Amino acid sequence: MRRRWQAVLEAGLGDARTRILGIFLIIVAVVGTVLMRSYANIETVFAASLLAGSLLGRWWTILVPLTALAVLQPLEWSTTYVGYGLNAITGITFFVISGYVFVGFLGRRIRPRVLFRVKSVALLTTISVPVTIAYDLWTAFGEWYFITRPFGVGIRTVLEAQVPFTLYHLLSSLIFVPLFGSIFLFLHTYGWPSRTPAAATKTPDRE
Amino acid sequence: MAPRMSEKQQAILFAAVLIAAIAGLYATTLLLQPVPVQASAVHFVRLDVEGMGWSIQYAPVTTNNNTAFGLLLEASAKLAFPVAYVWYQIPQGVFVTAINGSVNGEGRYWLYQVNGVYPNIAADHRALHDDDVVRWSFSTAQEGM
Repeated sequence: MRRRWQAVLEAGLGDARTRILGIFLIIVAVVGTVLMRSYANIETVFAASLLAGSLLGRWWTILVPLTALAVLQPLEWSTTYVGYGLNAITGITFFVISGYVFVGFLGRRIRPRVLFRVKSVALLTTISVPVTIAYDLWTAFGEWYFITRPFGVGIRTVLEAQVPFTLYHLLSSLIFVPLFGSIFLFLHTYGWPSRTPAAATKTPDRE
Repeated sequence: MAPRMSEKQQAILFAAVLIAAIAGLYATTLLLQPVPVQASAVHFVRLDVEGMGWSIQYAPVTTNNNTAFGLLLEASAKLAFPVAYVWYQIPQGVFVTAINGSVNGEGRYWLYQVNGVYPNIAADHRALHDDDVVRWSFSTAQEGM
């Protein structure tokens, strides 16, 4: 029974390199977003979720966004967005989490076949543009439904107000997806730069 | 048939396109920032702040704090009641979170009107003119807008 669970865990989390990269993606998502918190929509959870799905796959597709948001959401609701009612918090959190999980799953669907190539980074960066817009539309709908609709504000007004935020989110994606995409593609393909060539040449198993 | 680009050429092309896209996007966001209000003297403006079971009125003859937020801060300093707010860089503007101890939350938020109209801009970017009436109210969803 224990062996069976161990096998399930290993299949879900992948080899050691995949696990280390998964944990690093969570750290990048949390630390990057906390450091950029004074800039709305400049964040690293999006890039981390997309990379988790497209590079690591397996359970990391969900684990990276969920773990990062399990840290970030309570932090944001208790500091930046303090004072909102439980209904608004629950509703918006649902839209945020489901949005990032969707990004992870989309990343998994478009997993680049070529590792550590310019084409792969370009593909991830290009795809991040429509996915960022789709994510913002989804969360703007949640914001309208749970926060502004009760005040009589229409969805059109919310979407108009969303435009500058989406532009900044696109800026964030265009910076962080190629930046972390290049770094993680390299690490995923070659592992950590090592003095012992044998340790650095093993290619991780792909799902 | 066009010759196949090397990995290095692809990287240079990708970096060039990416930098151009980031620069263009950043320039657009700068253009969308609200224009700061230039300080100028306004006359006979009035401020009404309505909390839960309390109200504050302030009506200076002349003031240089010619924004809805500037007038609130001036009243806060003159009449000694606290105002809490968060300043956002993107898009630029303040979000008032508490006035005189009444904090946003649980369905009540500080909203402002100028001459009975809810502006769609942050209070520090809403310019005031002579005889304008600014009303800050601690509104519920049903009362608002």
